[in-house]
Amino acid sequence: MPRANASRTLRILVPFLVTAGGILVGYALSVGLPGYFVFLGTSAIVAAIAILGLGIVTGSAGMIALCQLTFAAVGAWVVAGLNVIEAPGGFIVWLVLGGLAAGVVGILVGLPALRLRGVNLAVVTLGFAAAADVTLVQIQFPGSVTGTSIVRPEGFGTDREFFFLGILVLAACGIIVYFLQRGRWGSSWKAVAFSERGTASTGQSVPGAKLTAFAVSATLGGISGGLIAGQVGLAFASSFSPIQSLALYVLAVMSGAHLIDMAIFGGIIWIVVPELLKRWGVPQDWGFVVFGVLGVQALTSGTNLGTGIRNLWWKRALKKGGTATNHLTTDVSATPAPQRTFSGEPILVVRDLSVTFGKVEALKQVSFELAEGSVLGLIGPNGAGKSTLVDALTGFLPQHTGSVTLDGRALDRLSPTRRARLGLRRTFQQDRVPPSLTIDGYVRFAARRRLTAGEIAEALEFFGCPPASTRLASVDVGTRRLVEVAANVLARPRVLLLDEPAAGLSHEEHVDLGRRLTQVPARFGTSIILIEHDLDLVRSTCDSIMVLDFGSVLASGPQEDVLADPAVIKAYMGETELL
Amino acid sequence: MLQGALSGLAAGGVYAIIAVCLTLMSRLVRVVNFSQAATGMFGSYVAVWMVSHAGLPIWLATIAGILVGGLLSGIIGWIIATWLSEADTTTRSAVTVGPLLLLISLSFILFGNKPQPFQPLLAGPAFTVSGVVISQVTVAMVLLAIVVAVVSKVVLSRTTVGTQLRALSERPTTAELIGIPAKPLGVAVWAITGIISTIVIVIVAPSQSNDAIALSMLIVPAAAAALLGAFRRLDLAVIGGLVLGVIQGFVAQIDQVSFVRYFLPFLFIVGLLLWNQRKAVWDAAR
Repeated sequence: MPRANASRTLRILVPFLVTAGGILVGYALSVGLPGYFVFLGTSAIVAAIAILGLGIVTGSAGMIALCQLTFAAVGAWVVAGLNVIEAPGGFIVWLVLGGLAAGVVGILVGLPALRLRGVNLAVVTLGFAAAADVTLVQIQFPGSVTGTSIVRPEGFGTDREFFFLGILVLAACGIIVYFLQRGRWGSSWKAVAFSERGTASTGQSVPGAKLTAFAVSATLGGISGGLIAGQVGLAFASSFSPIQSLALYVLAVMSGAHLIDMAIFGGIIWIVVPELLKRWGVPQDWGFVVFGVLGVQALTSGTNLGTGIRNLWWKRALKKGGTATNHLTTDVSATPAPQRTFSGEPILVVRDLSVTFGKVEALKQVSFELAEGSVLGLIGPNGAGKSTLVDALTGFLPQHTGSVTLDGRALDRLSPTRRARLGLRRTFQQDRVPPSLTIDGYVRFAARRRLTAGEIAEALEFFGCPPASTRLASVDVGTRRLVEVAANVLARPRVLLLDEPAAGLSHEEHVDLGRRLTQVPARFGTSIILIEHDLDLVRSTCDSIMVLDFGSVLASGPQEDVLADPAVIKAYMGETELL
Repeated sequence: MLQGALSGLAAGGVYAIIAVCLTLMSRLVRVVNFSQAATGMFGSYVAVWMVSHAGLPIWLATIAGILVGGLLSGIIGWIIATWLSEADTTTRSAVTVGPLLLLISLSFILFGNKPQPFQPLLAGPAFTVSGVVISQVTVAMVLLAIVVAVVSKVVLSRTTVGTQLRALSERPTTAELIGIPAKPLGVAVWAITGIISTIVIVIVAPSQSNDAIALSMLIVPAAAAALLGAFRRLDLAVIGGLVLGVIQGFVAQIDQVSFVRYFLPFLFIVGLLLWNQRKAVWDAAR
């Protein structure tokens, strides 16, 4: 497909062209700006790099980090230290080392909070910022007592040249962050911000996602600090106080710093507000008061400048295009597909699986086998334990007893992430598809393997999903769950557990989805357990059926036998229901 | 050695009381309030200003300052209750970073960034234990910590308001549906913890470094103490505060490692988090 290739080349080229343009503008500014503004501009660049890092951890990954300038201090400390001992390599190497050192510190600080949720990271980072601040004041930066000024690199000695160096560093950071955000890491950050369970179910380690976000953010903080050291020559603790870290956090939140342009804008605001206040003769502390008020506004309303502007743009696009929905009702039975044959051996073996919550026995000694290449229907009244069974099988209820074996391999002690990677996947009853991704980004993230655009398009078409370039935020919820199914099927798991995939779809669409699901084993090599309330869907899809009632298996076997079983009719439909 | 450890008890009492406030807030209104100490700082600065600039008698100024602290906290609570009533703990807590920043900066503008001329409300020794002098402030802080924790416990478990508050914290929507006034109760919790924090800081500020940042950052050791009770248990929060204070006082005496005391709250936090995260916890029940 030459057209697809051309657009792909363009997609990779555009960010580089934008960066090159930015560097040119930066060069012009470094030559043309009055001297005072060059110094301010360097400060803005430094702040922009720090905010860029915060944008990843707060904007993309949705965590609270309150010690960005402490990471900057680490970077500055390393640069100052290497400068004092006259380490080889010069400023640029020191800068990179400073960034890496900050990244390592970030990992160490972030580790304790990774498996916990919520505000723990905020508490840790604030504690770190407070402790490091007092310590820095006492121990001082290397060389600050003797007055050993930091040696700028050759060719960037003057303030103007150093400003341009800052532009180059910012450009490099920007382009790296751009590709990180669009890659696996970026998807994992956005996924973890939306739902940890959803993230783990795709085989992505949740602590891993948080840790990479925090480490990259700290690294950028360190680079920004190294630049500060180079800019002022002598670093002092007062440049890295906790209150400034708080202000940077607030600024990152209100500008929407997960967007690179907004991080740069944030850096400019960081300098412009105090500068304007100074010119108007207003005490500069008012700047942080303003940030505080705007921050409360942004945090309470859950909006930020960057997303606001983009939403305006997307709303216009949405008006033209409308909400994307599925086209399940088109016929796919004619499309040729690779056919597989299966041995019919059991692929998933479950023995005596029990789950108790306190005194409630949610599952009692459930045993069953899933034959390779089959579609097993799991039905039962509300509260029968269907979703508990899915949770237990996929590792979200580690307290379960009994054994689960996939392909001859025991899964019992493994985490949800490990189980997903070994080929036991699930989807959720609730919407767990991160809306900040495009369909393409989500599918590639969830599939965890290299996919061609053709493969993705084919699978999306098969499940009646909108085209890959659609933003998930503009897709209706029922269709989002179809995208989830498509993405998980593309992961080629051995077994896929679908928890009411048709909820949110119309009845006609149910049946159409069912027709497609029957083809999944042959097309994709994945065996399926389908949890459903809609008996029409189950009947049209499943070779065999298992009925759960009050946590026990009431009946299981071939479809006709089970559905004709009087006990099943009684439990599931009531006494008089005609089946 | 005993001297050092006991000298940390006053600070420990402060940590304990603010930790109790944090625990109450976390349990009852689902917030880790980063501005908890900052509102207290601001209220006590107002009190100092009223004495030194408006010439008010110290008791009147102190009461006014305490009310300002409660009012500020109540306003923050009202904002959160109005716009983020359904939001999760992280989002609600993130908002309080704004007031923390704002109150510190505002106090720089209004009161300057030098330590304030606090007049001690309590001064002098209370009694002596085996040659070590225990100050009145220490006694007041430790007693206040225990009293606040016990009273909170009794109110929560024995009174109608307490039952309503617990209902509200556990099932907010259900509680509202059966007619419990969610917003007024929530704001009241904010105001009361604001008042308690201000009382503590007014008492303790004269005897410690009392610039705006140092006082606002009392939130860090207090959060460390509250973490011992996982932001749920009041008794452990009190114990955590006192223990942390005592260890800090002890470490501060040993010259070689005295700078370690700055990192103690942080290390406390890290240790407790590592302990708490033995088991993975998911963000949603299902």
